[in-house]
Amino acid sequence: MTASQASEPAGAATPATREMADDPDTTGDEDVLLSVRNVAKHFPIREGVMQRVTGQVRAVDGVSFDLRRGTTLGLVGESGCGKTTLGRVVAGLETPTSGGVYLHDSTGHSPAGLGSVSIDRLQGRAARYFRRNCQMVFQDSFSSLNPRHLVRDIVGRPLKVHKEASGTELTERVVELLEQVGLGRQHLYRFPHQFSGGQRQRISIARALALDPEMIVLDEPTSALDVSVQAQILNLLHRLQTERGLTYLFITHDLAVVRHMASEIVVMYLGRVAEAGPTEALFADPIHPYTRALLRSSPDVAGAGDATMQGLEGNVPDPARPPMGCRFHTRCEVATPACGWEIDDVINRLEDVPGMFDELVGVERRSRFDADLVFDDDTSAHRLADALEGAEVPVSMTAAIETVSVRERAVSIRFREVPEVTLTVRGGGRRAACVLED
Amino acid sequence: MRGHDTVISVQDLKVHFQAKAGVVEAVDGVSFDVREGETLGLVGETGCGKSVTARSFLGLVPSPPALPPQGSIRFRHRGEGSVVDLLRLDAADMGRIRGNQIAMIFQDPGKALNPALTVRDQLGEVFAIHRSAEVLEGAGVGPDDHDFADHLIRRAARLRSRLLERLLLALPPWRSRRANLHAATDDLVVKALAETQIPNPANILGRYPHELSGGMKQRVMIAQALACNPDVLIADEPTTALDVTVQARIVQLIADLQDRHDTSVLYISHDLSLVRRICDRIAVMYAGRIVEIGPAEEVFNHPKHPYTRGLLAAIPSMASEKGELEAIEGTVPELIDPDPGCRFVDRCPHASDMCRADDPSLGAVAPDHAVSCFGYHPIGGSELTAPSVIGEDGHSE
Repeated sequence: MTASQASEPAGAATPATREMADDPDTTGDEDVLLSVRNVAKHFPIREGVMQRVTGQVRAVDGVSFDLRRGTTLGLVGESGCGKTTLGRVVAGLETPTSGGVYLHDSTGHSPAGLGSVSIDRLQGRAARYFRRNCQMVFQDSFSSLNPRHLVRDIVGRPLKVHKEASGTELTERVVELLEQVGLGRQHLYRFPHQFSGGQRQRISIARALALDPEMIVLDEPTSALDVSVQAQILNLLHRLQTERGLTYLFITHDLAVVRHMASEIVVMYLGRVAEAGPTEALFADPIHPYTRALLRSSPDVAGAGDATMQGLEGNVPDPARPPMGCRFHTRCEVATPACGWEIDDVINRLEDVPGMFDELVGVERRSRFDADLVFDDDTSAHRLADALEGAEVPVSMTAAIETVSVRERAVSIRFREVPEVTLTVRGGGRRAACVLED
Repeated sequence: MRGHDTVISVQDLKVHFQAKAGVVEAVDGVSFDVREGETLGLVGETGCGKSVTARSFLGLVPSPPALPPQGSIRFRHRGEGSVVDLLRLDAADMGRIRGNQIAMIFQDPGKALNPALTVRDQLGEVFAIHRSAEVLEGAGVGPDDHDFADHLIRRAARLRSRLLERLLLALPPWRSRRANLHAATDDLVVKALAETQIPNPANILGRYPHELSGGMKQRVMIAQALACNPDVLIADEPTTALDVTVQARIVQLIADLQDRHDTSVLYISHDLSLVRRICDRIAVMYAGRIVEIGPAEEVFNHPKHPYTRGLLAAIPSMASEKGELEAIEGTVPELIDPDPGCRFVDRCPHASDMCRADDPSLGAVAPDHAVSCFGYHPIGGSELTAPSVIGEDGHSE
């Protein structure tokens, strides 16, 4: 770690409006420590006696961003949006299904392969270099610290594994680390259960610092803590960042915390990036309707006074079968006909209407946008056709229907086919995945 | 304007626990009132005794390890006007009040709902225990019907049937009566669920808790708590396990239902920003005592107690600089045989000898706003006056 890196101001990131190309080398930016390119992580769903793979949960589905040296990037989203999985991929704990994560090194004499080969395929010296330089702090310090190990062994373990120190030297190095996080020599020979939540999180941080890494992935490091302790840990993390020039990937669902810590923010929804950009701009003027909904729901961030907090309608869709077009369109208030309405939406929207699908016999799909719904009698078929124009479905959904026809007991519905909504570059270093212009 | 009649009056409540190392004074001399129709927020950090306080309302603190509670919790029955001390009730009387006049919602709906019961059974139980008269009316059994079948049904409605009775009810002559009873219960359950804006509630009657999302489970629990139209609802961190977008909707739902039924809500939370938005009054607890109580806006805009100020300053906000959050130094004191005096003394920037020697009791600093700090209401003619110890401008928005 050089002095020039350490003195770099943490909040002064000026993200350029670069294209996120597949080739990690095209960034050509000295500042970038880590680039994430089209990372996807799918988990197979296995069913039956033979454990046949019947589907894929698309936990992370094509995410790209850059992490700049000495800054903090906040990764926010609701539970189940894939932010933790992405953090684990970046830390090398999960292998991405496709895409890659590239660690760049500015020193010039980095091990072969670094920067051009994804971290999950690095070998030998380069792999060791990555593992030293990317550490992780987990949310739950109860389960991430071995209850049968002493603090000395927990914090000293990375040093031992990388053959950095042993014996008395190891102990002294551990004491040094403990002092950096506000603990001391008296805590060396204690077990994790003898500490409070805040102290245990400090031990986790000391362990992450042991090999003097360039970056740390922080997965909800304060969400299990009380506010006054959270403030202590956030101050500690900030002090370490300025002293050591650390780069943080800060994963959280707490918007007040992320606004305080991060200079750039990536908002995830259902495995995709909904919006990304500098913190201040994103909070002042959110572009994506999902970001707006998040800000509106948060008691810390939503307008002061007694402005009512508003939540979101409906549930997060099944990540094994994510919606077409924009993934947020099923819950979006400003959805348009171009947002990707499909056959599944008809069923999801109308299944709560009593009796609507009681007589449904089958669905013959020609594509996600085009299908025949076959009923047992023609009254039900006509009822569905009428409902598609009625108040039970959003106006934009009705507008997205190209043809609806009832033939005897079958309703044939065809929606307008739209492509996947991708991230587009907006002004001021921001990106958003929404069909609406600002 | 909401009424100012007191529904529950807690006086000098003490709940102590017997531990190996000594007696833990988890709740030690807590007094406050819950008024009709208001939302009172009880805030504080982990281990400050807020949940124990709320649970002792309903006799839900396991004893042992808890020692018999001291003090009193006087509850005024809204319908009858009679006053009872909740700490002195026997199990049967408490059973009649619990879930009926005073209901509770818990933090983790996944754990609070019985995983082996369907939504129908879970909610049906509430009606069977507290509202069997309504169920029987729906099933067509009047209070004057006394033949054998009516008797069987009446027992079934209260979930009191023995094995033989259940067998009899499964036989043809009485089967239709039993079906009527089930239909009547379902009607009431669906009505209760519909109150919580669950779309098409009839759909989820047969589902088990694991088949529902977190927000949906919380709605089922709220439906269960509000099924009997209680006078007081105790909400113990009801949205902590939920996402913000879901939290906002649940909070809105509780407020709507409260307005409609004029229920008093005791809202327990560690989230100050949330409590500020939904509560009329706030009580701040620290180490088993209330340190400050007052109207929500008053407590947030003009916090008096050093602990309240510290808590508010620790929340990251637009104004706070990176790395400059004002954390409260030190840790919560041990509650085993604590020293006399103010419990915040070791972490307080304004502590004096007097704070160590004596315990400041709650004293009014403004109408309806009380603080337990010597900085504001010196006793025994001391020279300390408020502005000299703690300035008014310690916290800004």
